[in-house]
Amino acid sequence: MGHSNWAEWIYVAVVIALLVYVGAEAWNIENLIEHTPQDAEIIKVTAQQWLWSFEHEDGTKEVGELHLKKDHAYKFEITSKDVNHNFNIAEFVVLMDAVPGRVNTVWFSPNQAGEFDIQCREYCGLIHYNMRAKLIVEGV
Amino acid sequence: MVLELKRARPVWQIMFSTHHTDVGLMYLIFSILAMFIGGAMAIALRVELFAPGAQLIQDSMTFNRLFTIHGTTMIFLFLLPSAAAVGNYLVPIMVRYKDMAYPKLNAIAFWMIPPAAVLVWLGMADFGWYANPPYSVISAPAPAAEMWIFGLKLLGVSSILGSINFVVTILKCKHPDLSIGKVPLLAWSFLSSSIIVLAAMPTFAAALLMLLTDRLGVTGFFNPAMGGDPIAYQHLFWFTFHPEVYVLVIPAIGMMYEIIPRFSRRPIFSHGSGVFAFVLLSIVAFASWAHHMFATGMTFTEKTVFMVGTLAAVPASAMHVFNFLATMWNGRIKFATPMMWAVGGIALFFAAGAGGVVNTAMPLDFITHDSYWVVGHFHLFVFGTIAFGTIGFIYYLFPYITGRMYNEKWGIVHFILAFVGACITFFTQHILGLFGMPRRIYDYPEIPEWVSMNALISVGAMIILVGMGIFLVNLIYSSAKGKPANLEDPFGLGGKYYYPFAQRNPHHGDGGY
Amino acid sequence: MSRIFHLSIVIAILFIIPTVSLAFAAESAGEYIDRKAEIWNLFFRLMVVAFVVGGVIAGTMVWQVWRFRESNPKAKPTPYEEKGEL
Repeated sequence: MGHSNWAEWIYVAVVIALLVYVGAEAWNIENLIEHTPQDAEIIKVTAQQWLWSFEHEDGTKEVGELHLKKDHAYKFEITSKDVNHNFNIAEFVVLMDAVPGRVNTVWFSPNQAGEFDIQCREYCGLIHYNMRAKLIVEGV
Repeated sequence: MVLELKRARPVWQIMFSTHHTDVGLMYLIFSILAMFIGGAMAIALRVELFAPGAQLIQDSMTFNRLFTIHGTTMIFLFLLPSAAAVGNYLVPIMVRYKDMAYPKLNAIAFWMIPPAAVLVWLGMADFGWYANPPYSVISAPAPAAEMWIFGLKLLGVSSILGSINFVVTILKCKHPDLSIGKVPLLAWSFLSSSIIVLAAMPTFAAALLMLLTDRLGVTGFFNPAMGGDPIAYQHLFWFTFHPEVYVLVIPAIGMMYEIIPRFSRRPIFSHGSGVFAFVLLSIVAFASWAHHMFATGMTFTEKTVFMVGTLAAVPASAMHVFNFLATMWNGRIKFATPMMWAVGGIALFFAAGAGGVVNTAMPLDFITHDSYWVVGHFHLFVFGTIAFGTIGFIYYLFPYITGRMYNEKWGIVHFILAFVGACITFFTQHILGLFGMPRRIYDYPEIPEWVSMNALISVGAMIILVGMGIFLVNLIYSSAKGKPANLEDPFGLGGKYYYPFAQRNPHHGDGGY
Repeated sequence: MSRIFHLSIVIAILFIIPTVSLAFAAESAGEYIDRKAEIWNLFFRLMVVAFVVGGVIAGTMVWQVWRFRESNPKAKPTPYEEKGEL
């Protein structure tokens, strides 16, 4: 490097500072959203080619539909019966792989009533494109 | 020139040749053919996705096969061979040696590719180019899956053999008067990417074998019922393929290092920074693989480690962008076709990288994972950066290979269509992903935003198609009937076109390059 | 130089506001963290950073490409051309 390149050093410093900011913010927010509340109701989610089935804590089972209450906390325990799937409620940014032989968890609290789409977000074959269910959030 | 159609050489002479320019030519022709085949598949996909419901493709299995083979073709049969083409042509010249270190091995490495391509194309597997189990083991139909596995085995071995050749040629065969620090950046880019391949590829070779034995029922590596873990495959796959994406991009950046200084009529701002950035990127490339697996149920700590590893690679790429911009500063820039492609490529490289930073911010992966955001993101890399750099370099090498000039006006039209088309297609895909559309889906519900964005994306793809059609015609017509080029300085830049130590192809007689 | 100063002010504000709101908000409305709001909030903050940086880089490139094109009336040969070192 035969010529002065202070500009390059400053540029690299700015890039690194920005990346540290991104990393720190991401770490912060992830920390915040991962903390599952103690009183979250557990919902077992089972994925299989090509439908979603659910089981509430009290034993109620639902297929293709999930009824939840607004402003309650729910923790999903997600698994699969066959191949990899991914449980996704796009509206509430809930997303987690359903892997056979493993239970993955994610929690949320729906703060909006209404009907929302549940879709599969991991390629799982023929009807992956239509592996959908309905989330119905009741309450005022 | 190795391809002079008016004084055509017998085809068998090129096919049996082991000279680096002939092997490079075969890699180039094959890769361009594969680009058009992969592109045709992409167009089929985009026609189908233009609107909800079935358009061109009547069943989801065909769609699934098409996106799998589109990805496999573009990565393994277009991008990797086109980099090998450029490397084969120029690395021996850049290190002032007469050929590659092992010419026969070189030809063997090339000739493994067509049979592999036949296996892949005839098989038409449907499990996505990742081939994730358990789907690829228990659900994907035979013999497509096995043909894909064997095809990729061949391609992996070919890649390793080619990499050995590059590393030995550059490190051991370079001219004694040429110090390693003075080796041109394009050669450095091949050295870096080849070392990555040697370190990363064997892991995938193992994973492929494991998939095969699992499919045969002999093992249960990825079968929970037999004590295996499907996620293990993803670690093996991504340990190879995250570094592999750097193998794809590094040569393209190297090609931009050839074009940008020459067309700016200035030397590279900092050769040392370029070398440092390539070496750093090659090392840090291995620290980020599991960012592809953030949705598999990793712990907070695991995700943090890989987020940091991913972010660590950004400064190296940023150094290249700075190098290019600083090189153009105070230059006198000729915006001929190759330069337009290189500069457009840098602009899209930045956009691709910025999108990647968003993905790696852990919570944001919950929005973007396996959605069209990811599709837009990686296409900005593979098309917007790598294909742009490669195509620009093909235009740049055209006089060297054929002795003739391509049509400049149509080259610029091609660039404009590709750039505009890429922006429309791939930026819109980012937004479509934010609206929740998953990737790898044959059809979608009539959500108004999805419908309108998909239509716009398909239009963008058609714009790219028109440009590529123009490219094909330009290549073929100009090879035969283009104006003979001034081989000292075909672009009128005032400098030397190629290194004075240009190698003579022994088959080409007097005056042949 | 002033560009870096202004950029760092923007970054500082982007960092301070959510930190402060985290400290003081204490989830007053409703009992649980709003996952959707937190994540999209982070997304939009990062978008501000990305577009500011992108604007600087793209702006620089556009200006450069315009100013240093060979057909610019102000274009002059580079020192390397004059010395024949190209």
